[in-house]
Amino acid sequence: MSKSWYSDLPKYYQRQIAAMGLDDAGMSRRRMLKAAGAAAGVAAVSGLSFGKPARAATSMSYMCWEGYNDPRIIDPFNQVNDTDIAFDLIVDSPGGFAKLQAGASREVDLVSSDMPWITRMGPAGIAMELNPDDYADVYASFYDQFKPPFEPLLHDGKTIGVATRWGWVGPCVNTDMTDPDEWKSYDPVFDAKNKDKVCVMDWGDWPILPMALHAGIDPYQELDAAQLEEIRKVLRAMFKNTRTLVADLTQAQKGLLDGSLVGCIGAGSYLTSAVRKQGHKNIVGLVPDPKNGLKQGIIWVEATAILKETDQPELAQKLLKHVVSKESGHILSLLDTTCNVVTNKAVEELYTQEEKDILQVDYMWHAWDNSQMHRIAPNIDEMLAIWQEELANAG
Amino acid sequence: MSAVIDRSWRDPELLAKALPAVLLQTTCFLAPLLMTIALTFQRTRDFQLNWTWSLYTWTDVFTKPHYWTILGHTLFMAILCVALCLAIAFPVAYALATRLRSFQNHVKVLITFAFLTDATLKTFGWVLFLDKNGAANYLAQGLGFEGELVNILFTDWATMLGMVYNLLAFAIFTIYLSIDEIDRSLILAAYDAGASKFRAFWEVTLPLARPGIWAGAVLIFLLAVGVFLEPKVLGGGKSPMSAELIRQTFETRVNWPLGAALTMVLMTVAVFVVLLFNRVYSLKRHMGPA
Repeated sequence: MSKSWYSDLPKYYQRQIAAMGLDDAGMSRRRMLKAAGAAAGVAAVSGLSFGKPARAATSMSYMCWEGYNDPRIIDPFNQVNDTDIAFDLIVDSPGGFAKLQAGASREVDLVSSDMPWITRMGPAGIAMELNPDDYADVYASFYDQFKPPFEPLLHDGKTIGVATRWGWVGPCVNTDMTDPDEWKSYDPVFDAKNKDKVCVMDWGDWPILPMALHAGIDPYQELDAAQLEEIRKVLRAMFKNTRTLVADLTQAQKGLLDGSLVGCIGAGSYLTSAVRKQGHKNIVGLVPDPKNGLKQGIIWVEATAILKETDQPELAQKLLKHVVSKESGHILSLLDTTCNVVTNKAVEELYTQEEKDILQVDYMWHAWDNSQMHRIAPNIDEMLAIWQEELANAG
Repeated sequence: MSAVIDRSWRDPELLAKALPAVLLQTTCFLAPLLMTIALTFQRTRDFQLNWTWSLYTWTDVFTKPHYWTILGHTLFMAILCVALCLAIAFPVAYALATRLRSFQNHVKVLITFAFLTDATLKTFGWVLFLDKNGAANYLAQGLGFEGELVNILFTDWATMLGMVYNLLAFAIFTIYLSIDEIDRSLILAAYDAGASKFRAFWEVTLPLARPGIWAGAVLIFLLAVGVFLEPKVLGGGKSPMSAELIRQTFETRVNWPLGAALTMVLMTVAVFVVLLFNRVYSLKRHMGPA
């Protein structure tokens, strides 16, 4: 190893020099931003002690949904790799994608987001193409459904990310208030007896897509004007029976629990599982039966990708593998805010019967078999515009 | 005095003193505003911004009536909120400044505490209160009323309640400051001149409190056109207002040019309404009682 101006200094100071970007690798924009971020973080934590040194040799930036940042997942990784991870929590996947496109991709190393947006990072030139052979150890314990080649995560035949967490979208109901058999279709949403008892999640395309499926239209195909008009009609009818649109999980959960809401549309296992964890097993996420051959449920998958501009590809790969590991998967699937099944089959070994019940593990493959795989719908902007129009007229 | 009047924008000393404020306004207000305007002439494709100058977004804004429906609803709600806030705040501020002088510090502290509490917390608190199974109906049933007497949650009434509740303090304090500044001898002089209590109030107190009423009205109007929490949480999201429309357009549709255009429309209309208020206020001041 060649001698540098700082190599005689104790290891502790060498780390500080590296963290500040003053080592041989020099200072790049990325490193400067990370160093500034780390310094700000340290300063915020340590109050006035500006002289306090950075805590880790390296720092990373991870854009993800809530849950991936759980200290029980991240702390062991930090300890083993002497790293410090800064989080950029996503509140909506398109917003996260837009942020990356606006320049955040230069600072972020790893992203865990909804799968269609991860796949889209391939053609956008943001995400690195992964070699599945490099992840053979990870895939070995995956459910077969998510092993490569996992088509939804491919772009031009290249793998863009690794699937992590998944679930299904369908009616969420309280079985004490309504017969689950009634919800084998979305008909109860439009039933006059349920007027002002239906809740619609205000989560972008999520409530629109099931309604399109109910209208007999596959929203994942290119749609013509007549099909869009059908979707408009079904949304208009849905708003007539809607009591509230909510963006907040807890409001919907409370309404289902106290019976003021008979069903929630646009969510699924993501909404019900946390309530089930608190002991309310009467709250379930269902998937309706296929209608005229068209599957009515929707499977959502989250995936993790490494960004092209990362300056630490090896560490990013390590972190990705850590996130989908058996131990991390178990934590990720049973958070306080939401509980969802994961793609690593080995995690099942860690579940207790109670945990399986919370996650509706016995139901998940039934949901899978009766669902479409969620992708970016080609006409989503037209559908969102229709949603806005009908909402304006419904008020 | 005349030296101050003589100074103009040509005065180098004055220009130098104004420079920090001008720089601040330019970098923090004018530049972002110009960027927003420039954004309205761009296009998006596949959720990506394309810098291709076009009138597409503005054509969309002026041909889709639902944007204007939501804007009209927003203005109606904002003006109603201003009227209700002033109607409630004036008696409170008047009593605070004239009748409750010995308690006024305690009352001001209470209002300030309520004002400083996070609006999200207060709004969700109202949800728990107004819910079908909430405290309001529980109290009503305790008083002997049957069924769900209070059933306004997820309606425009609940939105208005939340807006008035969250913005009322702005009106109370601006009007209070205005009334508190009134020279009591002027009111006593009116009584000496034979004015009744009502006439003294109408011809002395009210005109002198007008700056506070005006300031409160403008403040509340500008805040009310931008609310999104109350229509979403208390109104149930079924009757969205402009701020929510803009949020949806930026975040959910990832259509920044359209979001920017809707923002410009809202800003322009809000400024126009304030200027209109200002014009009416100036006219009244000139034509008001001597």
